Amino acid sequence: MKAASFDLAYPVDLAEATALLARADSRALAGGQSLGPMLNFRLVRPSLLVPIAGLAALRGVEETAQSVTIGACVTHAAIADGLVPDIGLNVLARVAEGIAYRAVRNRGTIGGSLCHADPAADWPTTLTALGADALTSRGRRIPMQNFIRGAFQTALQPGELLVAVAVPKLGAGARWGYVKACRKPGEFAHAMAAVLIDGAVRRAVIGATGGAPQMVGDAMPGGLPGVVLARALAEAG
Amino acid sequence: MTVNGAGVTASVEPRTHLADFLRESMLLTGTHLGCEHGVCGACTVLIDGAPARACIAFAAACDGVFVTTIEGLEDDPVMARLRAAFTAEHALQCGYCTPGMLVTARDIVLRLPDADEARVRLELAGNLCRCTGYVGIVRAILRVLAEAPAPDVVAPQPLPRATFALPVAEPVVPVLPGGEVLAQRLRIAAPLAAVWAAVQNPALIAECVPGARLTLQDGPNIAGDLALALGPMKARFAGRAEVTFGPGHLAQVRGEGRDALSGTRLTADATVALQADRDATVMELQVRYSLRGPLAQFARSAVVAAFAAEIAETVGKNLAARLTGTAPPVARRMGLGRLVLSVVRRWLFSLLS
Repeated sequence: MKAASFDLAYPVDLAEATALLARADSRALAGGQSLGPMLNFRLVRPSLLVPIAGLAALRGVEETAQSVTIGACVTHAAIADGLVPDIGLNVLARVAEGIAYRAVRNRGTIGGSLCHADPAADWPTTLTALGADALTSRGRRIPMQNFIRGAFQTALQPGELLVAVAVPKLGAGARWGYVKACRKPGEFAHAMAAVLIDGAVRRAVIGATGGAPQMVGDAMPGGLPGVVLARALAEAG
Repeated sequence: MTVNGAGVTASVEPRTHLADFLRESMLLTGTHLGCEHGVCGACTVLIDGAPARACIAFAAACDGVFVTTIEGLEDDPVMARLRAAFTAEHALQCGYCTPGMLVTARDIVLRLPDADEARVRLELAGNLCRCTGYVGIVRAILRVLAEAPAPDVVAPQPLPRATFALPVAEPVVPVLPGGEVLAQRLRIAAPLAAVWAAVQNPALIAECVPGARLTLQDGPNIAGDLALALGPMKARFAGRAEVTFGPGHLAQVRGEGRDALSGTRLTADATVALQADRDATVMELQVRYSLRGPLAQFARSAVVAAFAAEIAETVGKNLAARLTGTAPPVARRMGLGRLVLSVVRRWLFSLLS
């Protein structure tokens, strides 16, 4: 199908982008790999699309001793290709490599995936397990657990843009497991779970639910709720 | 933008996707359209040198990019080897997927010179072929990989270094586990004492819920069934619940049910709180529920919320009518066309927000 009519307004900088996105019925267009299909299916019919993938303020990376901060419009392919500094165990590249297909990874962005907040997407679950924070255009630093509020719902306000994601580096001896169940490589997962064991931090997160990723707890669960979580735990060792 | 090396300036509707622009305006019909939602890979072209779906990129959003279609790769040395290998290995029949397959195959040869069969198959997962069974395509790509080393590829551009402000993080307020939460607030035109008495009478409540039937009442335990219809989806949940009453006009209902037809399971935990509002009563209803099984695939949370809002409104009206002695409104069965329209509209809006 073809998308319904919409207007397109190119912002020159972040300030203009947020001003445009404060308009009713507007929608940011990052890589468009989820929004594009939904527009073509006419499941979404915004009156205004604001392409943000070209904004320099959203494309950089910063590495400090504690964390790696990734601009919202950095693509999955760039992360998979190791262009983003490693937080440890090559975790980010391993997650990015498993997202959809290469042609989709070349365009799709980490920030776009988070803001779209499809429960079956990879980043909402894995970045929740990694304890990442969302940095917004209003100067807010929102823990990932607060950021994803439900299926296709985030904590962003109208006119507020996700600028970057700050991911804490892993400590020595950290262990990580991430498993998703797909009938075919690249399709949306039917079930997924991520496990991080890093010093005092022990997190298990279940994704691809009907809502936000579910944190099992900062303690290892006594029982294993499901075979996917069990496999993620096994992978983490 | 630049298409196959030539600069192109055009005025297009924002909704025109890149593949339509290439085919209809540039007459580059080598780019094929299959699914038009980014799954089949037939429309794969190079955008700034990297494979991308032309059907979900909008032409107007491709300002300034470099597009290379299958036509633009005619003289590409890797593509020449791939064409020969596709011919030798019988890697095409109808040819519909072939342009997209070739663009992806070229990316595999250039980016993964050490790929084995498993890796080639994995990389091809985003390009669907309905004729060949992929065997010939995989063989053709492996043949090119084995023939000679690929020419040196330009390494990907490093990302620019940036500095981001890192303020103090907001305190964690996790979304509660255990399913979806649904909150309803109803104003019932009857005094608190009467509504409280009604709430403690499951038989009366059941009469006010369209499609509900009470089959057992034994102390705090009740059993019954509830018929629901949502568009083409119909269900009859049979189950049991435990109802407890606390001080402060608070009632708690814990129950579970199953739809025999679809095998869908529903568990719910509801709190009902009453408060006087002059001559009327405000009822606050909070339900935490989870659906498991086939119906859960379609009954997305926003759909259920809209549906439940309609039911609650009807229950409130019926209850008020019973308590004030007026004739109850028509106890219409839930799930008529009117309802489906409003539900679908709300669902679509919720996807937007």
